[in-house]
Amino acid sequence: MADTSHGTGGLTFDNSKRSWPNELNILLALVIIIIVFEIIGQTAPYMRGQSFLFDTKDRFDSIFNEARLQIIILQVAIIGIIALGVTQVIITAGIDLSSGPLVAATAMVAMSFGQTELVNGQPNPKALFGPWAMDLPVMIPVVVGLAFGACIGAINGTFIAYLRIPPFIATLGMFLICRGIALWWSGGNPISFPTEQFAFIGSGMMPVVWFIVLAIIFQIIMSYTVYGKHTYAIGSNEEAARMSGINVKRHKVMVYMIASMLAAFAGIVLSSKASTAQAGMGEFYELFAIAMAVIGGISLQGGRGSIIGTVLGAMVLGVIRSGFTYIKLDGSYQLMAMGCIIIAAVVLDQYRQRNRA
Amino acid sequence: MKNTLIGASLVALTATGAMAQEIGATFSRFDDNWLTVLRTGMVEYAGTIDGLSYQQVDASDDLAKQIDQVKDFVANGVDAIIVNIVDTSAGAAVSAAAGNVPLVYVNREPDNVNELPPTQAFVASNEIESGTLSAFEICKNLRAEGKGNGARGYLMNGQLSNQAAVQRSKDVYDVIGMDMCNFMEIIDEQPANWSRDEAQDLMTNWMSSGEPFDFVLANNDEMAIGAIQAMKAAGMDMADVQVGGVDASQDALVVMAAGDYDVTVFQDSVGQGTGSIDAALKLIAGEDVDSKVYIPFVLVTPDNMNDFLEKN
Repeated sequence: MADTSHGTGGLTFDNSKRSWPNELNILLALVIIIIVFEIIGQTAPYMRGQSFLFDTKDRFDSIFNEARLQIIILQVAIIGIIALGVTQVIITAGIDLSSGPLVAATAMVAMSFGQTELVNGQPNPKALFGPWAMDLPVMIPVVVGLAFGACIGAINGTFIAYLRIPPFIATLGMFLICRGIALWWSGGNPISFPTEQFAFIGSGMMPVVWFIVLAIIFQIIMSYTVYGKHTYAIGSNEEAARMSGINVKRHKVMVYMIASMLAAFAGIVLSSKASTAQAGMGEFYELFAIAMAVIGGISLQGGRGSIIGTVLGAMVLGVIRSGFTYIKLDGSYQLMAMGCIIIAAVVLDQYRQRNRA
Repeated sequence: MKNTLIGASLVALTATGAMAQEIGATFSRFDDNWLTVLRTGMVEYAGTIDGLSYQQVDASDDLAKQIDQVKDFVANGVDAIIVNIVDTSAGAAVSAAAGNVPLVYVNREPDNVNELPPTQAFVASNEIESGTLSAFEICKNLRAEGKGNGARGYLMNGQLSNQAAVQRSKDVYDVIGMDMCNFMEIIDEQPANWSRDEAQDLMTNWMSSGEPFDFVLANNDEMAIGAIQAMKAAGMDMADVQVGGVDASQDALVVMAAGDYDVTVFQDSVGQGTGSIDAALKLIAGEDVDSKVYIPFVLVTPDNMNDFLEKN
């Protein structure tokens, strides 16, 4: 961590980084993975010469299989929103394990204020509260959900920054607490049938819109604002950041709050997309969000990584998931292969870092 | 709902009456939709029985934890234990953990069901029926639509580690193996882990290949609903596709009422829940109990769905 190549965010000048940004490597890996899937599709006899990304059946106006392009990003958009926050946390050399269960808990809390009174002319069979909570304006479930996330994040951050609990432990505890809240909220029952407005938040390609808009916003924040520079500074060298006058504790609480609010928003989008909230939702989301950031070239030691990298990491996971279904690979092999790819990403990245130093 | 659960656990904590009977129950998962209907029904039913204190705990799909919970119940001196077993192949271990305390297996059939001691019993539906009923009805519908010369479709599995998922998928293949239904062909099968949002993504992935298909069979309602949502989002006419699942949940019946969902199967949670508590009470009283009680599954289609609206 003492070597200067870890410093970014304008604190140190990192020549190697300027010449060949890490993000280009991930983009290259992405292209290679796509080519591998194309080759399998063209050569494996059972695939009947289908293409992975191109439109071989003349179904679309463009040369691409647009349906596949859409699902590749749609299926990682919601976890991607979580990963935007996790990226910031990991850049401060922290970790957030509570995001998956927070997605479930927020989905339950928000959806219970986003239900509609009549379903096909019948009373909502899954109504959690009385008529007062039915057909509320969409802002209410959204604000309640985000506020809930902010509270959880503030608690995480306070324990980590002020009481010096290791982030792994603090958020592991919050992981269990949030899963408990999700189960307790409705006693394990699903909460279904949202209002039209609430259902719109996650309908169609809306999750992708949210993901891209939020990614752009946070890329700008992390690159050009004091918040971003302080976040990198704390991760590079916390002591130095404190000495140079950054209020490290307050800043960390803010980072964890933002991360939890992003996870909470992911929960809102997810419950809207599925038009139901269930306590078992979001299983392993925290791990896939971390995996996206890791594939995107983040360092768990902090100080290094970027939002663009995480977005590309999300794309890699999306391409892999679609590709495996495309070549009809069995579910159990999919998990094994995905695990190998995550480890390979880190091995390659470390090798590259060593060679650079 | 919350209040009844809190109430139930308070009752369990404070029940000290000399005549009171105590039943402890452990469930494989608290966040499973159907099991939640079962659990809720059991709390309600237990509340109607005088002097019965009933407590339930979550094994969160962990067999070792469940065995410890059974031992905990024994150590706490409960009069009977109800187990919704995590791993159906571990019946011997769970049965041994209960010792001489009466034990009733509910919903999932342990592998030692034929060797249960007289203090133990089993109440559930016969899992083989569910997947078979659903797939066979889809087969008949496809024939009626004139697709008896060849129909292709997809199969969505629950968690691959789950006995019911494995059985229900096997049932589908058994049905397809029959002469009457061998015109059905599975293009691909993948797990969507019982979950609606995973099923949405899986279905969209499948559709992105552009292959035409005639049916989707899912191991449960949630995945079937996810598939339907994805197909509707892609602009498909649900009249062209037969969709079959299992559970007859409230959500599923609403989708069926809208004309999008064709076949599901009702698993009688009330029958299983009250049946298991009754069996436990009889075992406590030292009465004879059938070691195997099967509560039948019922096929649900748009024709008879109104009979099930209030049930699950």
